[in-house]
Amino acid sequence: MYKLMLVLLAVTALSGCTTTEIDEFRQGTTSLNVGESIVILGRRQNNNYETEGNFVECVANVVGGGNDGITVVPEQEFLDAMFPFFEPRTAPMRTTHLKQLMEIDQAKERLAQYGIEYIVWLDGLTQRSQQAGTISCTIGPGGGGCFGFGTWQDDSNFEAEVWDLDTLESVGSISTDAVGQSYMPALVVPIPLIARVEANACSGLGNQLKQFIAGKG
Amino acid sequence: MLAGCSATTIVVDGSYPSPLVRKLPLTIGVYYPEELRNFAYTEIDDNSGKDQYIVQSGTSQLELFNTVLPALFENVVMLDSLENANSENGIDAVFVPEIAEFQLGLPQKTKLKVYEIWMKYNMKLSKANGDYIADWVMTAYGKSPQENLQSVDSGVQGAAVVAMRDLAASLTFGFTTVPEVNEWLKANNYVTE
Repeated sequence: MYKLMLVLLAVTALSGCTTTEIDEFRQGTTSLNVGESIVILGRRQNNNYETEGNFVECVANVVGGGNDGITVVPEQEFLDAMFPFFEPRTAPMRTTHLKQLMEIDQAKERLAQYGIEYIVWLDGLTQRSQQAGTISCTIGPGGGGCFGFGTWQDDSNFEAEVWDLDTLESVGSISTDAVGQSYMPALVVPIPLIARVEANACSGLGNQLKQFIAGKG
Repeated sequence: MLAGCSATTIVVDGSYPSPLVRKLPLTIGVYYPEELRNFAYTEIDDNSGKDQYIVQSGTSQLELFNTVLPALFENVVMLDSLENANSENGIDAVFVPEIAEFQLGLPQKTKLKVYEIWMKYNMKLSKANGDYIADWVMTAYGKSPQENLQSVDSGVQGAAVVAMRDLAASLTFGFTTVPEVNEWLKANNYVTE
């Protein structure tokens, strides 16, 4: 029993080794009235990567959750409703493009129907590095098992830029950098001690974004 | 044993939203060539030289055009053959999309962490009597990030749907900007600019 508790304590301690840093840059005032909403969109123009839909959904859940939750229009619903104005090839990259978009009656009316006050662009990715160690597993008639040790580092870098649909200007940005080391010791059974890097980046960025849009950040 | 040697068939299955644009005041006849209706791309295994994946996208391509074209034009008339165009009343032009090339990028081959699809189309627009109006090339690209424990089927589906949406976006915004099309539209007072 004592050994089991020790193992659980070690698992809890090791799986928590993630450092998250959040920076905020504000250029304008923000607030949200009753009936108004926001949309969070992933940037997918980069050749080498694209912001994962799961991360965008995670941030949207954090922003929309809790007693002080903000109404967030689901990304896919928005992309379909605004089709084809926010596809990777056609999405506005700068606020000057947003101004051009708002000159198109159909687009302007549809945005108004959804009551969208802010568009949040999420851009970034999680990269894995410093992978080391080996784990070998064998299986035979009498049973099987693994032995070894593996470790790796995950680094999540994301930036959220907030566009105000009233002023058609950027009102600020929030960036997050979360780094964490994961371990996988294997003594008969592999024990994954995973650093929740992307999850921490998501909750950190989501909570800060919620404060920012409410005008508290 | 047999399953391990045969190619895996991936049927692209997607639904596409209707573009949010003002319709052009045109009655368009649409003819889908047999090659487009039944389009299938075969990816060859580099090591064995045998068929590895067969991507069937014909049905999905038709679904895309059937969604996009009625949003772009006031009336759309489906044609069984190009010969029928002249006998149909009120057709202003006949649109024929042809697929010319299809490329598939698999993470296991490209070493990139994305599934990619690239397509090239030859679009043709002619008068109901068959006279030439325009002939232009359109390309479409879609990528989908590789995820843990994801099947190849799901990765290819994801990239194909993005590529199809890209094609729809290009057609929506690009149709009136094709020089010959624009000239014809202006000459017939369908558009002013």
